[in-house]
Amino acid sequence: MHSIHQDALRIIKKLDDVGIELVWNRLENQEPQCGYCSLGLSCRNCTMGPCRIDPFGEGPQKGVCGADADVIVARNLARAVASGAASHSDHGRDLVEVLSKAGMVKAYTIKDEDKLKRLAEEYGIDTTKKSIVEIASELADAMLEDFGSKKERIQLINRAPRKRIEIWENLGVIPRGIDREVVEMMHRTHMGVDNEPANILLQCLRTSLGDGFGGSMIATEVSDILFGTPEPKTSTINLATLKENEVNIILHGHNPLVSDAVVEAAMREDLVKLAKKAGAEGINLAGLCCTGNEVLMRKGIPMAGNHLIQELVIGTGVADVVVVDYQCIMPAIVDVAKCYHTAVVTTSPKAKFKDAMHIEFTPENAHEKAVEVVKLAIERFKQRNRDLIKIPDVKPVELMTGFSVEAVVKALGGSLKPLIDAIKSGSIKGVVGSVGCNNPKVTQDKSHTTLARKLIENDVLVVDTGCAAVADAKVGLKMPEAAKLAGNGLREVCESLGIPPILHFGSCVDNSRILVALAALANEIGVDISDLPAAGAAMEWYSEKAIAIGTYFVASGLLVVLGVPPPIFGSKFVIDVLTNKVESLTGGKFVVEPDAERAADIIVKHIEEKRRKLGI
Amino acid sequence: MKSVVVFPERCIGCMQCMFECAVAHSQSKNFNAIYEETPPKPRIHVYSAKENYAFPSKCRHCEPAPCLEACPTSAIRREEGIVFVDVERCINCGMCAMVCPFAVVRFHIDWKRIEKLPVSYKCDGCIERVKEDEIPACVEACKVGALRYGDVNELIEEAEKRIASTYSPIFERREEVPENYKIWLELRG
Repeated sequence: MHSIHQDALRIIKKLDDVGIELVWNRLENQEPQCGYCSLGLSCRNCTMGPCRIDPFGEGPQKGVCGADADVIVARNLARAVASGAASHSDHGRDLVEVLSKAGMVKAYTIKDEDKLKRLAEEYGIDTTKKSIVEIASELADAMLEDFGSKKERIQLINRAPRKRIEIWENLGVIPRGIDREVVEMMHRTHMGVDNEPANILLQCLRTSLGDGFGGSMIATEVSDILFGTPEPKTSTINLATLKENEVNIILHGHNPLVSDAVVEAAMREDLVKLAKKAGAEGINLAGLCCTGNEVLMRKGIPMAGNHLIQELVIGTGVADVVVVDYQCIMPAIVDVAKCYHTAVVTTSPKAKFKDAMHIEFTPENAHEKAVEVVKLAIERFKQRNRDLIKIPDVKPVELMTGFSVEAVVKALGGSLKPLIDAIKSGSIKGVVGSVGCNNPKVTQDKSHTTLARKLIENDVLVVDTGCAAVADAKVGLKMPEAAKLAGNGLREVCESLGIPPILHFGSCVDNSRILVALAALANEIGVDISDLPAAGAAMEWYSEKAIAIGTYFVASGLLVVLGVPPPIFGSKFVIDVLTNKVESLTGGKFVVEPDAERAADIIVKHIEEKRRKLGI
Repeated sequence: MKSVVVFPERCIGCMQCMFECAVAHSQSKNFNAIYEETPPKPRIHVYSAKENYAFPSKCRHCEPAPCLEACPTSAIRREEGIVFVDVERCINCGMCAMVCPFAVVRFHIDWKRIEKLPVSYKCDGCIERVKEDEIPACVEACKVGALRYGDVNELIEEAEKRIASTYSPIFERREEVPENYKIWLELRG
C-alpha cells in the first residue's frame, strides 16, 4: 500500500485510473535499483572511473585510483553530508540577507524585536542606543561571518553544554565556518586528498555540526525574528483543506521568505475582492512540506500534506497555483500540472524547473511579486476544468502547532524545571525527536505514526518536525485529546498543561530547536546531551539533508534510528564506526531499523538505560 | 519455449545483471547477501569486447549440452530446457568446465550444499524464480534490453525487424551506421 491515509489513496486511485504517472510508478520503473550505488560502492568522483567495488569479492576490490570499499563508501557519505549541510545553510543565508534589509524593504520587517536583541547580544553586539534596523543589519553581518572562514568557531556552537564542546574540541570537529566545512568536505573527497575513512567520517561530524549549530540554527532564529517566534495555535490538515469554491494557492518548498509574502498578499482585501469577482468565495492557502510547516507554525495556515502529497495535491483539480521556493520539490509536479489548469510557479533564481512559470522574488520585490502570484491564481481559478475536480471526501484533521522552545518554556510557566521534574519523577521517561521525510519505499507515514504512537504509550514525549510532524498531525496525534493515547505519566502532564503528547517543533531546519531544547535541558541539569534520556528517529527519510541532520544528532550525543538503510552497507568499516565505535567518541550512534515497532523498542530501551545511568 | 536471449550490442556494461544474479541466488534475497556466511557469486559476467564494447556472458543451456553429457555423476540435469547443477551430486571434478565451449562454468561454495565444498557453479536459468512465474533476475535487472526473456524465435524476430527497419538502399552513404551493422563490420575485420 502506498499510504496509510484515505485522502492520499483516493487521489492516487483517481490519477492511476487516468494513467498519470506518480512517484510510486517511477520507483517501480527504477527497480531493481543499482546494487553498487545502494551499498555506496560506486564512485563517480573522477574520470579515471566511474568505478565499482564488487561486494561479492569476485571482481574489483579497488577503484582505478586504488580507493577500496571503505574509502569509497566514506567519501560518498561525506558528499551527502556536505550537500545536506549546504542546503540548510544556503537557506539560512538567504534569510540572513533579508535580515540585513529588514525594515528597509516593503515585504519584510522585524516581528520579534526581543529575539533580535537577544541574538545580537549573543553575537556580542551592543544593542543600546541602536535602532532595530541597525541591530538587524549588524546581526546579519555577524551571522554572515559564521558562513566564512575567518573565525575559529561558529558562534552558536557555544549553546552546547561545556562538556559537549570539550568532546568536540578533543575530536577536532568544532566547525570553523559553515561554508568552510562544506567546501573542505568537497576538497577532501576529490581524488587523492583524504583517503583515511575514519578521518573523512570525522569531517562528516564537523560539517554536520556546521549545519545543526550553524546554518539550520541561523535559519530558525532569523525566521523567528523576521516572521515571529511561533506560539501554540490550532489549524487543520489533509487534502480536504483545499476548498472547491475558493482560489487555492499551495505553498511548497522550505524557506518562509516567499510563502510568508504570499500569505500576506492573499489576505489583502482588494485581492479577496478580485477573487470574489472571479466567482470564488475567497482565497484559500494550504502548505506542503517545510514551507508549509513554517507558515503553519507561525500563522496557522492549513497543511495539505507532506512530501509524497505534492503530486496528489494537483490531482484534486482545484490547486490553482503551486508556488515553490526550493528543496524537495519533485520535477514531476510540473508534469502532473500539465494535465490540469494548475500553474507551478518557481521563485528562486537557484531553483528553476523546466516548463514551470518563473516569477523571481527578491527582498526588494517580494511584496509586488506575491501580489502577482495571487492574481495568477485568481486567473487560473477561472480556467478550472470542472470534470477533473475531486477533493477527497474526508474531514480535515485538527492539529495543535507552534511549539517553539520559547513557547514550551512559557507553557511550563517560565522555566524548564517542571519538565525536568517530570522527567526525574518518571512521568515523562524521555524525549525523542521524530524527524525527516517521506520515502516511496515506505508506506507513506506508516513508520512515523507507528513509532510516535508506541513512544507516547511508553511515556516518551515526542517532538517532531518536517514530514514526520505532518504525518503525526494527520492521524490526530497533535491534539490535546491525543494525550489519552499516551501512558499515564505523560497523559497527566499533557492534560494538566493542555498540550498534545507530540509537540510540533517546526520545519526541518527547526531540528535546531531540538538541539537548543536538549542543550538547555542538559545545561539546566548540569549534564551533557549524551547523558539525557533522549534520542532521534528518521523513519522515512530520503534526502541528503536528513543525513546531515542524523549526523549532527549523533555528533551531539544522541542515538539516531534510521528507518531506511543509508547507502553505506558496502563497507564493514563505515558500518562499524557509525553504528558502534562512534558511541565511544560522541556518545551517540546510528541504528538502522526499518520496523517501527522494533525501532520504538530500541529507543525505549536506550532511554531506560540513560535513566539508569542518571540514577532516576 | 521461453529462455534468456542476449543482445550484446545493447549492453552498456552496468553489471546490474551480475549483482542481481548473486542476490537472487543468496539466502536472504536482498543486499544482506554480502554479509552471509557463504556470500553468493554472480553466474553471469560482463566482460569487455573489442573497442570497450561490453559483452554479457552466461550459460547458453546448449542442447545437447556438453557439460551434461560429460558429468560422471549425473549432477547436471535438464528440466524445461534449463541445464542446472544438482549441488549435492557434484564431485567438483571439473569435467563440465573443461568441455564448456563458452567457459561459463566456475567453482564456488554454494550455501545450498551441506558440506562447504566448492561445486560446479553456473547459470540455473533462475529455475526457482521461473517456477514462481517470475522472470530471471538478470533480465529483470537489465534496463537496456540486452538481456530479454521470452520465446526465442519471437525475440529474434523482434530484433530482425529492428535491423530491417534501419535498411535503406543508400545505407552505406548514411552518416549513422546502425549499431548491429557496425559490430558486424568490425567482427568481419
